[in-house]
Amino acid sequence: MIEYKPKVLVVDDERALRTGVKRLLEMEDYEVTEAENGTEGIKLGTETEFDLAVIDLKMPDVDGIEVLKQIKKKFPHTVCYIATAYASYETAVEATRLGATGYIPKPFPPEELIQNLKEGYQTRLLYVEADKWRKEREERLLEVAFEKTRLNTIINSISDGVLVINKAGEAVLYNPAALKLLDLISIHIEEKIIGRLHPEIVGLINKILSKEEYQPSSYSSQIEMKLQGELFVEATASPVPHPDNSLAGVVVVIRNITALKKIEQLKSQFVSMVSHELKAPIAAVYGFLNLITDDKIKISNEQQKDYILRSQLRLDGLLKMVNDLLDISRMEMKTVRREIKQVCVEEIIKSVIELFQVEINKKGISVSLNCESDAACIKADYDEINRLFTNFISNAIKYNKENGSVSISISKSEDYLITEIKDTGIGLKPEEKKKLFSEFFRAKNELTKSISGTGLGLSIVKRIVDSYSGKIEVESEFGSGTTFRIFLPSSLKSV
Amino acid sequence: MTDKKKILLVDDDLDLLEQNKILIESKGYEVITANSSKEGWEQFRKSKPDAAVVDLIMEEHDSGFILCYRIKRDEHGKHIPVFILTSATYETGFKFSASTSEEKEWIKADAIINKPVVLDEFVQKLESFFELKEK
Repeated sequence: MIEYKPKVLVVDDERALRTGVKRLLEMEDYEVTEAENGTEGIKLGTETEFDLAVIDLKMPDVDGIEVLKQIKKKFPHTVCYIATAYASYETAVEATRLGATGYIPKPFPPEELIQNLKEGYQTRLLYVEADKWRKEREERLLEVAFEKTRLNTIINSISDGVLVINKAGEAVLYNPAALKLLDLISIHIEEKIIGRLHPEIVGLINKILSKEEYQPSSYSSQIEMKLQGELFVEATASPVPHPDNSLAGVVVVIRNITALKKIEQLKSQFVSMVSHELKAPIAAVYGFLNLITDDKIKISNEQQKDYILRSQLRLDGLLKMVNDLLDISRMEMKTVRREIKQVCVEEIIKSVIELFQVEINKKGISVSLNCESDAACIKADYDEINRLFTNFISNAIKYNKENGSVSISISKSEDYLITEIKDTGIGLKPEEKKKLFSEFFRAKNELTKSISGTGLGLSIVKRIVDSYSGKIEVESEFGSGTTFRIFLPSSLKSV
Repeated sequence: MTDKKKILLVDDDLDLLEQNKILIESKGYEVITANSSKEGWEQFRKSKPDAAVVDLIMEEHDSGFILCYRIKRDEHGKHIPVFILTSATYETGFKFSASTSEEKEWIKADAIINKPVVLDEFVQKLESFFELKEK
């Protein structure tokens, strides 16, 4: 290890003195740099930081006081000595005021210079050390401050609400999300917030505060913060420990679960609807069987046969509904296996019309098919497209009036193959139009009483069209007919 | 018999309507049927029945309540028993037995009859209303 040699700058216009001092100091293991006048002294002394400087007071160009001033200005921790033969009280005071550590009267004996510099170097080391500490401290403070801001920024960015309260029930920290989710306009730090919180949240907090000691268990509750299902939150209160593991307070995290609740609600609505729809045919069949088996009730043979037939019809309907439900569930779970190939919509429609020929004739409906496009083909799964048009055309016939008409036309736009199915049926009321594609919706009125169906057809159709990134348009006037326009992408983008 | 009591039965399920008609007729009542709330109201006005039994879920989920309400506000209707026919608690989550006075104020039905109809219970309930009225 090379020992560090303290760096000394000697500024003096007397060459002999400079060399003398240099030789002397080098023997004492100093590294010496010479400056032959004031100007050079300033230049060297402000270029690099010297540990020590010995500056002659009287020099022809710039005097020592100026050199001292400049060096001290740049490097306040360079320990400077003023050397002069013209010692005066005033210059000593002035030099000290400007930061000189000592005043060496000329001529000086070598021991005195060495002694001075030795002490000076100790001072210098203290300066440097102190400086180091100060810098470190400043940096640490800066870091702490930065950490704090960073933490605050993070907490403020969390979408869940965060509220920390102390044992006295006063607010200590909160983020903007907490305001929104607690339905409060403002929270003041150190305010007794516990009195303004939802009673259920207060309950959670008290469960923790009542324990006095810190126990690492959290409590959660789902709360309807605003009525009518406008805001549902899940609040979780957890204890916050001191470093010594005693209880410091409670942190409450509030999460918005409104969307989740809505889905839950939809799910139970759906389940209750399904149960009702499944129960109706069962009740009907059950009722018929009761009538047939009840000895106290007299029914004729014809009636009995009629009831059995009607039971069969209800069971058929039930079976169809269960199948539709299974299809929906398969579509939802995306477990439908598709065989994508070139499918000709025109041919499918022709075959569907043929399928319903009996019903068409019975009602005296005239059906027309007009295909503008030669290649009314798309890439899709045959069964799904078949089901799609079977459903629409079956509806157009079922809900049509006697001697009505169904006009089907196929055309092509840049992106879509458009099939328009126009009927002269019962039409839809505006409020019915909105519900058309939801499960179990069936237009229920005087005109539809005798029409059977599961109420799932259009819901399935909508899912099929959606899965091909297509769309359905509906135009309808109550009492005079409905037009459906089905847009299927001519090139398959996503399946 | 001319003093047969007239019961109006309203249900949008034609099968259930017919079954319940036969059942109730077998107990010596005259049964008039209607299979929508609109037809139910028309029949009520026309035939002035001695009691009405209305299915809850018809065109809408509360069609039965609404028809019930209309009948009970009618001059003739307010004196006759009106029953709502449903799997009530199960389908609507509405516990009639536990309803508040405010809810009872709105729901004018005299009783909720669960589906499927247990004939003897139904007749018993009906008769108790008729007896009450005669007293």
